[in-house]
Amino acid sequence: MAKISSKNIAEAVYKATEGKSPAEQELLLKRTVYVLRDKRMLGKSKDILEALQHIIDKKTNTVRLKVITAKNIKEEEREKLEDQIKVKYKGDKVISEFFVKEELLGGMRVEVGDEVQDTTYKNKLRKLEKFLIQNK
Amino acid sequence: MSNHIVENLRKEIEAFKIETKTEKVGKVVEVFDGIAKCSGLTDVKSGEMVIFSGGETGVVLNLEEDTVGIIILSDFSKIKEGNEVKATNRILEVSVGEAQIGRVLNALGAPIDGKGYVKTSSAQPIEKIAPGVVTRLSVDQPVSTGIKAIDALIPIGRGQRELIIGDRQTGKTAIAIDTILNQKGQNMICVYVSIGQKDSKLRKLQIRLEEGGAMDYTIIVSAGSSEPAALSYIAPYTGVSIAEYFMDQGKDVLIIYDDLSKHAVAYREISLLLRRPPGREAYPGDVFYLHSRLLERACRRNAKYGGGSITALPIIETQAGDISAYIPTNVISITDGQIFLETDLFYKGVRPAVNVGFSVSRVGSSAQIKAMKKVAGTLKLDLAQFRELEAFSQFGSDLDDATKKQLERGKRAVEILKQPQYSPVVIEYQVVILYALVKGYTDDIPINKIKSFEEGLIEYAQRNAKIFLSEVVEKKMWSDAGEEELKKAIEDFKVSFVK
Repeated sequence: MAKISSKNIAEAVYKATEGKSPAEQELLLKRTVYVLRDKRMLGKSKDILEALQHIIDKKTNTVRLKVITAKNIKEEEREKLEDQIKVKYKGDKVISEFFVKEELLGGMRVEVGDEVQDTTYKNKLRKLEKFLIQNK
Repeated sequence: MSNHIVENLRKEIEAFKIETKTEKVGKVVEVFDGIAKCSGLTDVKSGEMVIFSGGETGVVLNLEEDTVGIIILSDFSKIKEGNEVKATNRILEVSVGEAQIGRVLNALGAPIDGKGYVKTSSAQPIEKIAPGVVTRLSVDQPVSTGIKAIDALIPIGRGQRELIIGDRQTGKTAIAIDTILNQKGQNMICVYVSIGQKDSKLRKLQIRLEEGGAMDYTIIVSAGSSEPAALSYIAPYTGVSIAEYFMDQGKDVLIIYDDLSKHAVAYREISLLLRRPPGREAYPGDVFYLHSRLLERACRRNAKYGGGSITALPIIETQAGDISAYIPTNVISITDGQIFLETDLFYKGVRPAVNVGFSVSRVGSSAQIKAMKKVAGTLKLDLAQFRELEAFSQFGSDLDDATKKQLERGKRAVEILKQPQYSPVVIEYQVVILYALVKGYTDDIPINKIKSFEEGLIEYAQRNAKIFLSEVVEKKMWSDAGEEELKKAIEDFKVSFVK
């Protein structure tokens, strides 16, 4: 028998609840939890929720953005960044999270799904170190 | 002084240009036994190189629904769950260049002989589609191994794939080493790929090659037995990529894979860890393709495509002489012939322990020089008949004169084909001694004196059969005058030898 992945369960949940009234959705979700409990798959609930989130994002054309910087960035800069991401990924909505990590020294790391653009100083220095070693 | 250093560093830093691009990144979900399962990494290709956050490299082998299976090519103990892994959009590459000649490299092409950095000129992907039919030429140039039994009976041509197969301790590696040693001055570059061998054996081999002056044209690629299976898996591909670099320059290359049984075992280990379904002897379904795609890269290019060649000598170790096991039958069917070595013969003192009956070279005869073809033409058949008669003669019945003669001739042929290790014989001397054998000059020499007769005759011929020898070297065939000269030399020598 083929293994059922978290993605399969999430897809099934999405299809079952799509277009249903809130009361029906609640009932369906309750039943899903019971099935997961019976099949001893509750441990996978985090993965299932993540997969479900991914499916919903795809349907609603939502882009999830994660930005890490060395210093806190201003509100207008955040908005500008979100607008650019919206254009680049052709999304209708951008949900963003901003983090500050001083160890990055400067620059910014932008993550959308599994795509990363890393312009932080830390990354640049690492690349410079590699370049100098290779050119020895 | 310090100013100079600072200035140099500044120049280096100025030359550094950083390119900002979007990278595909994944996360390590689990790591075990040299394998990493990672999430993310959408659009990653099979065979693509990936880099872990600690700088370790890996190769994507399995593309699954939610994760990708990666083989880690270095120490995996530092990779932890949650670590980042970056796709490179490049198939695994190995650095290649002239400077690698004379060096010992690991499976990734980095030097391990302690002689410092190797400056390479380019990088080649380790997996490449073999040259097509249009670019190829049939095998017609010989590879002289210096081993009489092989050059006479199982000749190898440039661009051929000849399997060396036999049990443990039957002299498989010895044949390979002798062949490398004999390539001196033959315009050949040798690549020796050691797969899962003991480091002590490799070191001994390296010293032997250095002593014989063979490291001047040899590259050793090694994936030791203490290294991860992933490195054993990629080592032959690295070796052939290096060989292809030289072939592309129109050079002839000899590559030895020692040995492909261990390569198959390494691949089986990786495949089972990646949960690929096991098949016969627990090898995965694509184990045939594993070797066929590797050996298909051995070829001879035509003049339009540079005219280089790669001759492959894969080695397979059998268990208790069983050549019908899975991997031996696969590789036998892929290659253009095999040299079968037998334990019984080895312990009988027939060394190299080549079983002439089971050994074959499917394309090599067209590469054999005319002179050798003439002397060795009937030798294989004679030897086969000798083995048959020998079995009958053990019943002790009376034998007729013709049979007795054939038996005596056969015994002398076996004696002449014996050869100690590390003492290759050049082709013209091989022709001289085999000529003496097939023309019956050795029939009345006692068997225990055959060796000294051979040595003496070669020495005598160097002085007294110069025309014959030079004709064999230059024209690859003797003239009537040359033959007369040799006949006379043999007769004269025999008179002095018998005395």
